[in-house]
Amino acid sequence: MAVNAKNISDDEFFFGHKACAGCGGSLALRAALKVLGPNAVAALPAGCMSAVGFNFPQLAFANNAMITPFAATASVLTGIEAGLRAQGKKPDDCTVVGFAGDGGTADIGLQALSGAIDRNDDVLYICYDNEAYMNTGIQKSSLTPFGAKTTTTPAGSNTRGCLTQKKNLFEIVAAHGIPYAATASIGYLNDFIRKVERARDIRGTRYIHVIAPCPTGWGCGVDETVDIAKDIVDTGLWYLAEYEGEQVSGVPGGRFKLNRDPKEFASVDAYLRRQGRFKALTDEDAAAVEAGRDAKWEAMRRDWRG
Amino acid sequence: MIEVLWHGRGGQGAFTAARLLGAAASLADGRHALAFPAFGPERRGAPIRAFTKMADEPVGNRSAIAKADYVVYLDDTLLGEGWDGELKPGGMVLVNSTRTFDDERIVALDADGISSAVLGRPIPNTVFLGALAALCDRVSIEDVEEAIRQYMPAKLHEKNLAIVRKAMEAVVHRPEQAPLPTCHLEQVPLPICHPERAQRVEGSSASATESAPTEPRRPEAHIPMLRTGALDPEKFARSTCFEAGYLTVKNAGWRNMRPVIDAASCTGCLQCYLLCPDGTVFKVGEPAAEGAPVAIDYDFCKGCGVCAKACRFGSITMIPESEADAQPPCHPERSTEGAKSKDPARRQPADQGTQRQESEADAR
Repeated sequence: MAVNAKNISDDEFFFGHKACAGCGGSLALRAALKVLGPNAVAALPAGCMSAVGFNFPQLAFANNAMITPFAATASVLTGIEAGLRAQGKKPDDCTVVGFAGDGGTADIGLQALSGAIDRNDDVLYICYDNEAYMNTGIQKSSLTPFGAKTTTTPAGSNTRGCLTQKKNLFEIVAAHGIPYAATASIGYLNDFIRKVERARDIRGTRYIHVIAPCPTGWGCGVDETVDIAKDIVDTGLWYLAEYEGEQVSGVPGGRFKLNRDPKEFASVDAYLRRQGRFKALTDEDAAAVEAGRDAKWEAMRRDWRG
Repeated sequence: MIEVLWHGRGGQGAFTAARLLGAAASLADGRHALAFPAFGPERRGAPIRAFTKMADEPVGNRSAIAKADYVVYLDDTLLGEGWDGELKPGGMVLVNSTRTFDDERIVALDADGISSAVLGRPIPNTVFLGALAALCDRVSIEDVEEAIRQYMPAKLHEKNLAIVRKAMEAVVHRPEQAPLPTCHLEQVPLPICHPERAQRVEGSSASATESAPTEPRRPEAHIPMLRTGALDPEKFARSTCFEAGYLTVKNAGWRNMRPVIDAASCTGCLQCYLLCPDGTVFKVGEPAAEGAPVAIDYDFCKGCGVCAKACRFGSITMIPESEADAQPPCHPERSTEGAKSKDPARRQPADQGTQRQESEADAR
């Protein structure tokens, strides 16, 4: 039975944390752990969620959770899973889950993640993507989108924020032939919850990439987090999709699936203009962002449908 | 040595102000100052402190200020019980507030109003530099202005110089003594010690009466428990074999807006429950006759307003904390659901209130 607001566990496994008001990442963790239940074992590298969840002597996790070295999220997940199994202490409903930010996944932890997928270890890796290193005060990561102002990609008279494009991590992960990978957004939380539930019940390595806006770093109101995460999907700048590897789909080379294919996109310009980080973008820049979106969607609609 | 203790919330610029004050106080030869902040891994909105020490000799002592000559509150919700314990004899409190206080040691200043008038948004920190220039002999307004020119980006100079001038005038020409209405400090919220969450739940169930509105209680759920307000070092983790989900302490001091649920229009769609980043909205097992099917745990709500925005029926409104505190426990217009949303201390029947105070005393 699908998990929804009515039947989801009343238990809170990520509670009393010290994240900013309106933090998107904390919502992703809270929702995922409610699906995975008390026997989930979580591992988090350096990043916002480990900084706000483990405040000695406080602990905001109700399930087992630990901090990993920055680059080693996936390796630690592998170790936890193997260790629990070797000791005969792994309950049937135990999901070994990692929560890493965009920097901890796409930059620093990419090699370990790739290794875990290659070994097909039975772990779930969730990347909460707030599009920069927010914990250390907003530095660019390889998942920072074009035009976003960070402290390392400042916007001024000579430059207008991040010059590079967001790395396509979902397809990089899928290219490993991983059993299951998905993209999600906290703006479509039911879709995210469904994907976590789906991933929970698949064996082998699973990866979920969830957009989790950061009001502090994005320059939006603290009450807008969920709304803006919905907006990014509605504009087509992010997409809800799944990849099922050969083991799961039975299709050689695996299969991509587009979960949401809007007939009409919401305004990219309005999405960019409501955030302080895109303040310096010119109209031409915004048009270029829109053109990039159209090209991406043309390819996705061609290859990922049916 | 003149010591200034700054209380603010992450993002309000308390440390910037502490630093600028130190800069102003050390411009002249032979004058020295030290400024530093104190905060944990907490984030925007969390209460933080900053310190400025000003002296005629180099300041080597980097420890936090326990008793200060001036204590500045950038947010009046942070001014709570025990405020006078932080003052040296003859010390003064400066608070960003539109209220008046019946204690001559407290100077209230509408810093949000002053800064909004100049900047277009309330950034209260530099207001208090002007105020301190008026009150403290150690720093002159010229020094403060020079510090702003030297340490702030050029584009901020003009407006912040205007702010400090206005603030200084506001302090110099402040009304002699507090006119009505007077705010008694006993009414100021935010007790520093908190009774155990478990005790509170027990208390409310034990003496729940049909006539009095009682606090909706969380169902028996597995969540990290608030074991104690002041963490006992005996309970700290001493090894890696430590019970998960052991301790959290409340975050309620972060909030200056409070979500209030209107039971009449709430449909129980649970979007607020689902989307709360902090898990503070909970389902009420058996709601009272006119109660909403969900309630908010104000001990942990940070007041982000995601729930209010997510509510398609407009059943959740954000009201300022000051307003919520100012309302009497059983405001006739607010009926059951209004009473429900108040702070637990004010919401409980009288006998229970006493009980709670006792347990609070025990906790201390």
